[in-house]
Order: sequence, then C-alpha cells, then structure tokens
Amino acid sequence: MGLGSGVRSLHLHWLCIYLSQSFHNLLQRDPGCFQRLLQPACLDNIHHVCYHLRRSSTWHSCPIPLPARRLGAPRDPPGPARTRPDPPGPTRTRAPGEAPCPAMPAPAEAGLAPGPPDGGWGWMVLLGAFVSIGFAYAFPKGLAIFFKEIQTFFGTSYSEVAWISSIMLATTYGAGPISSILVNRYGSRPVVMFGGLLCGVGMISAAFCTSILQLYICVGFITGFGLALNLQPSVIIVGKYFLKRRPIANGLAMAGSPVMLCTLAPLNQFLFENFGWRGSFLILGAILLNCCVAGALFRPIGAHTAPSKTPATEEGKDALKGKISEDGPMEENKPEEEGGKDCFEKINQYLDFSLFKHRGFLIYLIGNVLMFLGFFAPIVFLAPYAKHTGIDEYSAALLLSLLAIVDMVARPATGVVANSKWVRPRIQYFFSFAITFNGACHLLCPLASGYTGLAVYAGFFGLAFGMVCAMLFETLMDLVGAARFTSAVGLVTIAECCTILLGPPIGGILIDTFGDYKYMFIKCGAVMVLAGTFLFIMNYYNYRMLAKEEKERKRKERKEEDTKSVRTENEGKRNWNKDSTQDGPELEPLREKGEGEKKEMNGAVEV
Amino acid sequence: MPATFSGLCLGGLLLLLLCDRVSGERPPDPAMTTQDSNQTEVNSVTKMQSGHESSGLDPATEKLKPASKANTNVTEYEILLSGVPGAPVEKNISLPSPTKVELTCKLDENSNLKNPQVTWKKGSETVSHTTKTANSWSIELTISDSSHLGNYTCILKGDKEVSGIFRLQVPKIERKERPLITYEGDKAVMVCKIGYNPKNWTWYMTNGTELVSIDKILPAGKFQIMRQSASVSRLEILRLTKEDHGVYWCEAAFDLGPSKSRFEVRVLSIAEPLKPFIAVVAEVAILVTTIVLYEMYSKRKEKRGEKEFDQIEQLKSEDDSTSRRK
Repeated sequence: MGLGSGVRSLHLHWLCIYLSQSFHNLLQRDPGCFQRLLQPACLDNIHHVCYHLRRSSTWHSCPIPLPARRLGAPRDPPGPARTRPDPPGPTRTRAPGEAPCPAMPAPAEAGLAPGPPDGGWGWMVLLGAFVSIGFAYAFPKGLAIFFKEIQTFFGTSYSEVAWISSIMLATTYGAGPISSILVNRYGSRPVVMFGGLLCGVGMISAAFCTSILQLYICVGFITGFGLALNLQPSVIIVGKYFLKRRPIANGLAMAGSPVMLCTLAPLNQFLFENFGWRGSFLILGAILLNCCVAGALFRPIGAHTAPSKTPATEEGKDALKGKISEDGPMEENKPEEEGGKDCFEKINQYLDFSLFKHRGFLIYLIGNVLMFLGFFAPIVFLAPYAKHTGIDEYSAALLLSLLAIVDMVARPATGVVANSKWVRPRIQYFFSFAITFNGACHLLCPLASGYTGLAVYAGFFGLAFGMVCAMLFETLMDLVGAARFTSAVGLVTIAECCTILLGPPIGGILIDTFGDYKYMFIKCGAVMVLAGTFLFIMNYYNYRMLAKEEKERKRKERKEEDTKSVRTENEGKRNWNKDSTQDGPELEPLREKGEGEKKEMNGAVEV
Repeated sequence: MPATFSGLCLGGLLLLLLCDRVSGERPPDPAMTTQDSNQTEVNSVTKMQSGHESSGLDPATEKLKPASKANTNVTEYEILLSGVPGAPVEKNISLPSPTKVELTCKLDENSNLKNPQVTWKKGSETVSHTTKTANSWSIELTISDSSHLGNYTCILKGDKEVSGIFRLQVPKIERKERPLITYEGDKAVMVCKIGYNPKNWTWYMTNGTELVSIDKILPAGKFQIMRQSASVSRLEILRLTKEDHGVYWCEAAFDLGPSKSRFEVRVLSIAEPLKPFIAVVAEVAILVTTIVLYEMYSKRKEKRGEKEFDQIEQLKSEDDSTSRRK
C-alpha cells in the first residue's frame, strides 16, 4: 500500500480481515466499502474496524458508512487529497467515544450499524419469545379443564364460569395499547418480567379465592393483564432481532402456542388429579413465573453500551431512526417536533396514532378485524360438533390433538416458506391466500362425514390455522416497518379484541337457532373468504401505489442531484437513494432482485 | 387507560347481552376437552312410544292382549337383531317408578337366520313370550318392585345363535368416579345429579364398614345438605380436617329401589402443593440469576476488549510518533 506509518500493525490486522471470507465477499459486493476502508484514517485504525467487524454477527452491510451524512454535515472528500505528512495521531487526544475513523460510527452506535443480528443472541431471544407467546395463547385454553370443578364448587352455572376465560381473553387483547406504550417507554425486557410476575401473583392469589367474583379479578384481570404484557413485547423484540430471517423467526416464535397447549393440557390434568383446583392454581402460578425467565433473555439490542443508559438510548435511537426513515418530504416536521411538546405530541411519541393514516396499516386492520369474526369459533365448536355427530368424547379430544400437532409443524414450515425469495416480496398475497384457504376449509366441513372426514378436516384446519397465525405479525411488520411496529401491534390487538370475543357467541347463537352446526361453519368460512379476498385486492392496490410513490421519489431525487455538485461518488449517490426509503414495506416486490437485496440490507440500517 | 376500559366495557356488555342468549350448556372450552368438561351424561335411554312404530302395531298389541287395560301406558322397547352372531345386543332401561313394559326382539328381514327358535329368559328361568309378527317376539312385564328388575334376554337359535339383553334398572346417578381433592380448612362440595325425580335424597358417610346417615350426625354446621332441585342434591362439608377423609355415598330413593353413587374425599394439607411450588420458584430464580450473570460477564469481556483496543490504539499512535521523530 505504501503508506509508511503503521504498516506493521496494518499487516497484523489485515490478517484478521483476510481470514474472514465473509468480509471478503462483502468487499467484493460493495466496492465502495473497500474504497472507504482504504482511507488513511480508517487504515490507521484498521484494528478498530477489525474489532467491530468481529463483534457484529452479520457481514451484510459495510461497517464504514458513507461520508455524506444526510443530516447535513459537509465532509471533506476522502481519497488521495488527504495525503498529509503529519497524521493527526500523536497530537490529538482522542476521547473514548470519538470515532477513530472519520466515517466510522462511534463505538456506542457501532453495534447498530450492522443492523439486526439475525442470529447469535437472537436465537436465545427467540426461545424466550417462544415460551412467552406460548403461555399467552395457550394458558386461557388450558384452564378449561378446571371449569367443571369450579362450577360445582361455587354452585354457579357454566356460563358464569366461562366468563373467566372471556375476561382473560378480553384483557389480554384489550391491554395491547398499554403494553405498547410501556414497551416504547421502557423496552421489552422490564415489561415482560413485570408481566410474568403479575401472572404469577394473579394465579397464586386465585388459589385462595372464596368466590367466583374474586376469580374473575385474579384469574381474569390480573393474569390476563400479565399475559398481555408478555405477548406484545415478545412479538416486538423478535422483530428487533431479526430482519433477513424474520419470517422464520416469527413462525418459530408463534409455534410456541400449540406446543405449550399440548404440554399444558396433560399437565393441567395431572395437577388437577393430584392437587385439586386450588393446588393446581398455586403451581400454575409458579409455572407462569417462567415468563420472567423468558423476559430475562430479552437483552435490549445495543445493550453493550452502559446499561444504565440503555432504555433512554434505545428510545432515542428509535426516535432518531424513525426520523431518518421518513426523511425527504418530512424534513419540515423536525423543527416542529423539537419545539414545544404538547400532550398530543407526548402521546404520539409513545403510541403512534399517525398509523391510522398509513394505508397499509388500515388495510391490515380492516382485513384482520373481519377475519377474527370467524377465526376461533370452529376450534371452540369442533369437539361439540364431533360429539353431536355421534363420535365419542375421547375421539373428539383426539381431533383437537391432531389439529394442534399439525399446527405445531405448520407454523415453522410457513415461516420457512415465507422467507424464501419468491414469497417474501409478496408476503401479503401469501397471507391472503392462507386466510382464504382457511375459509374454504370451513365451507367444506359440513360435507365431511364420519370420523375420517372430520379427521381430514381437522388436519387441513390445523395447517391453515398455523399458516395464518405464523404470518399474523410478520405481515404487520412488513407493512409498517419495525420502528412503528410497537404501536401498530397495540392498536391492532385492541381493535381485534371485540371481534375475537364476538366470534364464538355468534356461532353459538347460530347453532342454537338452527339446531345445526353447519350454519356456523358456513358463516365462519364465508367471513374468512371475504376477508382474504379483501386483503388480496387491497394489497395489490397498495403494492401498486407504493411502486408509484417510489418512482416519484426517485424522479425527484435525480432532479435534486443534478443540481448538486458532483463531489459525492456514484456509489454514494445510489446508496443514499436506497437509504432514504419511505415508511412503506422494506422489500418492494416490483424492484429487481439485486436492488431489492441491497435495499433490504440498507433497510437494516434503519431498524 | 381509557382505551382498555372502553374495550373491556364493550366486551363485557356484549358478553352480557350474548351470554343470556347462548344456552348454559354451551361451553367455550376449546382444545383438549377431557372427561371432565362433559356437562351431562345421560344414560342411553330410548323410549319408543307405541305411536312411534308403524301404525299396524297398535291394533296388533291390542289384539294380542285383550286383557290389557286401556288406561295404563305400556312402554315398548325394541332390540333390532341383524342375524350376525357375536356379542349380544344390549339395551339399558331406567325405570324410576312402577310401570308396564313390553320388550320386543325384532329380527332383521334381510338376515340369513330363518325361522329361529325363540326363548326369553330372566336369569336362568324362562319367561313365556308372544309372537308379535313374523319376525318379532315380545314379552310384557309389570314392574312393581325391585325383584322384577334385572336382565331379560331373548335368544334366537337357528343355524346360528343371536341374542339381545334388556337391562332393567333404577336410574343411575350421572357421575364420573374421581377422587375429590380438598384442603384443610376449605370445604368439600359433592353434587349428585340424576335424570329423574327421586322421592328423596340421603347422604351417608362410611364409618369402618357401615354407612351412617349424615342427617343423624349432630355437630350442626359441619355438614350442609341442599336440595337444589328435585333431581340435584348437594352436600357441603365445612371446615375440613384430616379426619374427614374417606368415602361418602349419596342415595336417591325411588319406588323401585335406591340408586347410589360413591365419593372418595381426600384432604391434603397446604404443604403438599407447596413443595412443587417452591421447586418451580427456585428453578425460575436460578435461571434468571444465571442469565443475568452471563450477561454481566459477557459485557465485562466486551468492555475489556474495547479497552484493549483503545490501549493498542494509544500504543500505536505513540509508535507512530516515535517512528516519525526518528
């Protein structure tokens, strides 16, 4: 290289780089990165670059970002113009946080530059999310085993006892926005640990209840609220830790629900036979404390900096990234936000109500709210329907086990399929297809005769159910981006709360009125086919609008660049274009694959 | 909190409106229904009134039995035999009060068994029967006390032998045999439900080998018997102690005899579930501590790594300066 000073350490540290094939590939892919690496300032501190490269678990994006920063700081052009005889080293006392390489990010932010790890500690986080989501979805269903005994004990009717389950479900979904606000403020980890603690306390106090009203409060409200504080943050943190493999991660995390259900049901039966319902509630309270373990695994991302600063820096980073991702036309909003903050602004900071103007979000909301009307009722009524057609109780229970097992396999499989390069750009279509398939299953159910027919139906239903559940949150993340996902998920769950609760009672009314189960299946099937078609059409429209907007933006930016000086390199220009994405989906289907890949990698920088 | 509160309110209101409509027997218990979630277990009783059959039978009955009084209702029960040899076809019949019954064994017209020899038996003694039609044979019985209850078998013998059994019995109490687990200081609740209205209910507790009626036990306030309806009876044992464990019986008295159900009550102390509870809490604490310690350790390693590199940087810059001075 002929640079003279520092050649010794240079050779030593180039070794570490050359040993890494991935970094080699990165340099070949992104020649601009290589150019930037050859800046004298960076080469002087090549060991620092090495250090950061070794620490980041992905090699997708260049750790040395472009010198032309969007926030307006002009920079000296790198390159041969910088050959100064006296490098600034000995005279400059470097502060610990200062970037050694002018274009390199300070160590505090370095962990973010590569983007979501897509692995490493992410797998442990996924395990925690698996447990947490599993408890949140499976626990209310697993409690059904105790209801008969509680009904006998307190001398109430069955519907009064069933309210426990309904209140729990209502609280879990209805407390979504609170969960989102808390996550926005404190991060996922404290919220999940507090949620786990709350669940445990709720169930333990339920063991000592002396009336059904106290059970409503302890099991329904307290435990339900705790589960809500478990569910949202787990989904959110999966989105923070994964980008490239996010559909797989989502599929695996959501697979927690059937696995936990299959574990909890026999466990609950065993506990009930040995300890009665009070003892079981006590032990279940302790088991729910495992959610705290799951929460402990949710290491805040970027936490290798001082831990005391983590919540504030996370929030600050989120806000910063939020601003960066909405640059360009949104520049004029910044002075407003930095100015006086009134109450509305404060609320908006914690729970992003501007999502209601987001086209993709509205489409998702309407489609999902419609879908949930017919989503859960068939599961609730499958066993009674089987008994109604003359099948004995154990075989009916076996149908549900079959459903759960197929579901368990379908969710990760769907994640893998959704991650493939053919499906991921068009993931919204895949989601609509899954919903329509689900609806078609229900419409065909009344034609199923005998136990074999119902078993086939249960198998297909399990598959369809798993497909929809695995992609439920993935599609929302895809539409609004990971930065706004926190607020989005809270707003979506409270809207879905109503229809989820309405679904089974409406089905029950249909069954009672007509005396036949088939109308309930027809209603569920029709609603879901309608929801699927709606989502398909609206997403097609959405994709087209996004492509149009992107073309507009590109045209505008090319005009802007023509007026600017040509000092920035060509790669810099192209990269800058890709960096300034809108708040739409991170992967646009109508782009070419190569571009799309690069955009996805740079999209990782925003997250 | 306004969002949640209104969401909950709405949900609650809707539930209130809708739960009234939905019948109480509709359980929203999804997955994994086990034996316990079944609400009512009605014994398989089928009553085929005389009018239900083809119209030809009524006059046929009248013709064959001119002595039967027109006022009394004769309930008819039928077993359809397919002519395929195997286990006997069974039918359980619950009779709460004295009545007249007609038991018929009908042979399927398409069966291979032709002109069989028909015998009706109760236990080991034969009962005389009548031939209703070409392929059905019946007996008529007056059930007036418990001695008339039992198993009545019809045997059709040809080249093969097929049989059907009518089990006449008092109604059974709907229950699954499962031990009742309770705790000291808590109360035990036992409920007996039956499909018919008995004359009265009695509860017994087992003292050694004999059954002692609970009504006769003096300390008032220990036992509470409530007749929730004509067909449901409820026993509550309050302020449980270890000595209260054992077997209890509930008995429904019918004209034709009593019907009993057995309850096994186990009284546990609080310490029993506490052991697994403490074990799980300890496991949670250990896991959380391990995770936190590992995180602190890895953070320290990173900080050390950063410090090392900063030091190397310092050394390098000193190196540069010294080499330049040279």
